[in-house]
Amino acid sequence: MYALTTSELMERPDLWRAVHKLRHEIFVEEMGWEALRRSDRLEIDQFDHDEAVHHLVIRNGELAGYQRMLPTTRPHLLTEVLTDLYVGTPPAGRDVWELTRYAVAKGYRDGRRGVSTVGSELIAGFVEWGLSRGIDKVIIEFEPMWVLRALQLHFLATPLGYQRTYGRQEVVATLLTFNETTLQVVRNRRAHFAPVLKTGTPELFSWKQAS
Amino acid sequence: MRHFEDTLAYIDRLQRAETTDAICRELLGVTSAFGLTALMAGTVPQPNTPAGRQKDHVMLCDWPVEWLQRYVARNYVVHDPVVGHMKSLQAPFQWREAATTTHVDRDAIQVMGDAGEFKLRDGLAFPLVTLDGTVVMVSLGGEAVELSNAEFNMISLVSTYAIGRAMQLQSLQSRTIDHVELTPREIECLQWAAVGKSEWEMSQILGISEHTSEKHLLSAKNKLGAVNRVQAVAEAIRRGFIS
Repeated sequence: MYALTTSELMERPDLWRAVHKLRHEIFVEEMGWEALRRSDRLEIDQFDHDEAVHHLVIRNGELAGYQRMLPTTRPHLLTEVLTDLYVGTPPAGRDVWELTRYAVAKGYRDGRRGVSTVGSELIAGFVEWGLSRGIDKVIIEFEPMWVLRALQLHFLATPLGYQRTYGRQEVVATLLTFNETTLQVVRNRRAHFAPVLKTGTPELFSWKQAS
Repeated sequence: MRHFEDTLAYIDRLQRAETTDAICRELLGVTSAFGLTALMAGTVPQPNTPAGRQKDHVMLCDWPVEWLQRYVARNYVVHDPVVGHMKSLQAPFQWREAATTTHVDRDAIQVMGDAGEFKLRDGLAFPLVTLDGTVVMVSLGGEAVELSNAEFNMISLVSTYAIGRAMQLQSLQSRTIDHVELTPREIECLQWAAVGKSEWEMSQILGISEHTSEKHLLSAKNKLGAVNRVQAVAEAIRRGFIS
């Protein structure tokens, strides 16, 4: 998994396009978030600002997985858009980031109901990324079924508000706290113990993307 | 606001529970306010599971003792309409729906009648999906159950934390030592072994003695629990040390 700032991503038009295309495919076309629909079929919002960090998992020269990390020290989805998902004051600070747009491309969802290897690389990836930066908490707005998975991976989970229905989906905002044990459990479940976070930017995309 | 803080307090206590009994107690402490006084949660056994092995599927159980004994002794899990309905629906429902929508035979009526004797007349059941895709069924029962949507959501969320805690306790108990750390040199040697280099060739490439490269490989082999070099390479690939 690669972690790129928005400006690093923009220096690579091929990756930038692949990211926003995958987001449109999954969140607009598949999940039906119509408010995000665009005629160029690239999903982009006001939070793709220069402090956002984009996590990319590449397989076979194409974008297989993605998630976006937003600092809670400035406006983010929970405080601006999903405001009915929290009660009281949502957690914020340099050690808390918001994980948004978690996405696994269609061809990489092995397993009927389980979490795919690309999906679990994203999870291992944000834990590694966080721990190496003094970040140990993420806010995620996800389907309630993810709560059990998070607990199985030894995250400490705390709901931030009531569950709501958005379209066809149930969503609950949850604060996940993690540490080295979480990372070990995630790696154990994946039977993959080497770090997944790579430095630099991915190789050029394969000809499939370039065409 | 007040309700939400209560929910948080329950969840906090659940996550600190150290035994499955404590988890059951905390969860029923929440649900009994809604008339749900009995709890059974676990994976659904296949119809041919011998009665003696059914208990392996149970994760949390707080049923009247006599009812549990009867349920096991008479193999009611096979006829229980709630279990049957869960298998086909895989979504939340109320017990009374199971009794009306699925094919209810004489055995099913017997199960329900017996449950009634133990003041288990209605309840709710919902599925939870684990990381590997296994469905865990949570079933909560009592004498009369009336829940709003919001209350149902709250109960299902708190139950999720209960099952999650139960699974954490289970994994902490059975945690085997399966963690392997390899040194950069060991990984390098495995990488060259994977492309068919001999120890002598490795020593030339890495600028170390033949004996040292042999030592690195042997140590990696032992750490990976492999019996020979081929298995060590395969295991190192499987674990993601080399590609």
